[in-house]
Amino acid sequence: MREKPKVLLIIPCFNEAGSIAALLQEIKTGCPEYETVVIDDGSRDNTYAIAKTLSPTVRLLKNLGIGGAVQTGIKYAAQHDFDFCAQIDGDGQHPPEEVKKLLAAWQEKPRSILIGSRYIAHDTFRSTWTRRLGSQIISTALNRLFGQCRVSDPTSGMRLMDREAIALFAAHYPHDFPEPISLAWALRSGLSAGEVPVKMRAREHGQSSIIGWKPIAYMFRVLSYIILARLSRSSLQ
Amino acid sequence: MNETSLETTVLILLFAAWYLVLMARKTARRQIDLYDLAMLSTVAVIPAFFVLFPDTTLAITQITGVAFPFVILFGALLAVLFLFMHRLTIKLHRLESDNRMLIQELSILRQSQQQD
Repeated sequence: MREKPKVLLIIPCFNEAGSIAALLQEIKTGCPEYETVVIDDGSRDNTYAIAKTLSPTVRLLKNLGIGGAVQTGIKYAAQHDFDFCAQIDGDGQHPPEEVKKLLAAWQEKPRSILIGSRYIAHDTFRSTWTRRLGSQIISTALNRLFGQCRVSDPTSGMRLMDREAIALFAAHYPHDFPEPISLAWALRSGLSAGEVPVKMRAREHGQSSIIGWKPIAYMFRVLSYIILARLSRSSLQ
Repeated sequence: MNETSLETTVLILLFAAWYLVLMARKTARRQIDLYDLAMLSTVAVIPAFFVLFPDTTLAITQITGVAFPFVILFGALLAVLFLFMHRLTIKLHRLESDNRMLIQELSILRQSQQQD
């Protein structure tokens, strides 16, 4: 580990032309010590044109979904020898300064994955009851099936990964429901995980794809994947 | 099973021969592999077996407890179809995964070339 670790912020984007410039400017001003890579997941708007003027930007030749986009960023981190990478959303919901909390928590107690939790502090984030219920059930399943960690927000997209997690996820990363399932895969592979309370902002542009009753269907599918991960014999490493 | 007429037997055997030749040509041209040939050929081989060996077919129906031999025939074909589908699903999943990996690697490579 270097004295001053190399940290990469992975910013997966899909049609985020309205928010990406502001986010990248915010990172340049508030966190100049971090490097960034924008993964444009085949946007149909100007996301790529805007992002590439402010940050290294990988434009995926075809839309791969959030899992494929994040894994591309993780591969980029592995190829460029980063000590840590943090995933933050391109819609501006994740304040980049919050990554400092994740790094501070890692320095206090190293864990392969540190999740920025919206639910520990209870005062910064509001979501629909179906989303909260789905997230609660998924976290209960993870905590019961993988006893070595306690998580309250397994679906959070803000997370810090160290070299071990980067190596694992560069090779194996789920493409459906990546956040909770990648956590299950990591725990099954013997990696450690923890949580840090972070503040998140309300989405300024666009709309979440998980709305209405979708969180319930999402929950059942994720639960099946988590149970399968627990039942799998060998680790992925 | 003795009621299978000569015409029916000839018709099924002709179909089987034509189909097997067709599949063999496709294999020779590398349009399908040997495993596909074996799987797809069952469409011809199983009915041919049923008309060529009626006593064996009758014995199988008695062992399995079904009244009509064609139930066995369709059951066997369905089992082969599922096996084939199983293999195709695995193959498709692997291709999808390889395709995704290639897109990722190519996109990163293109970015690094543009940066240089």
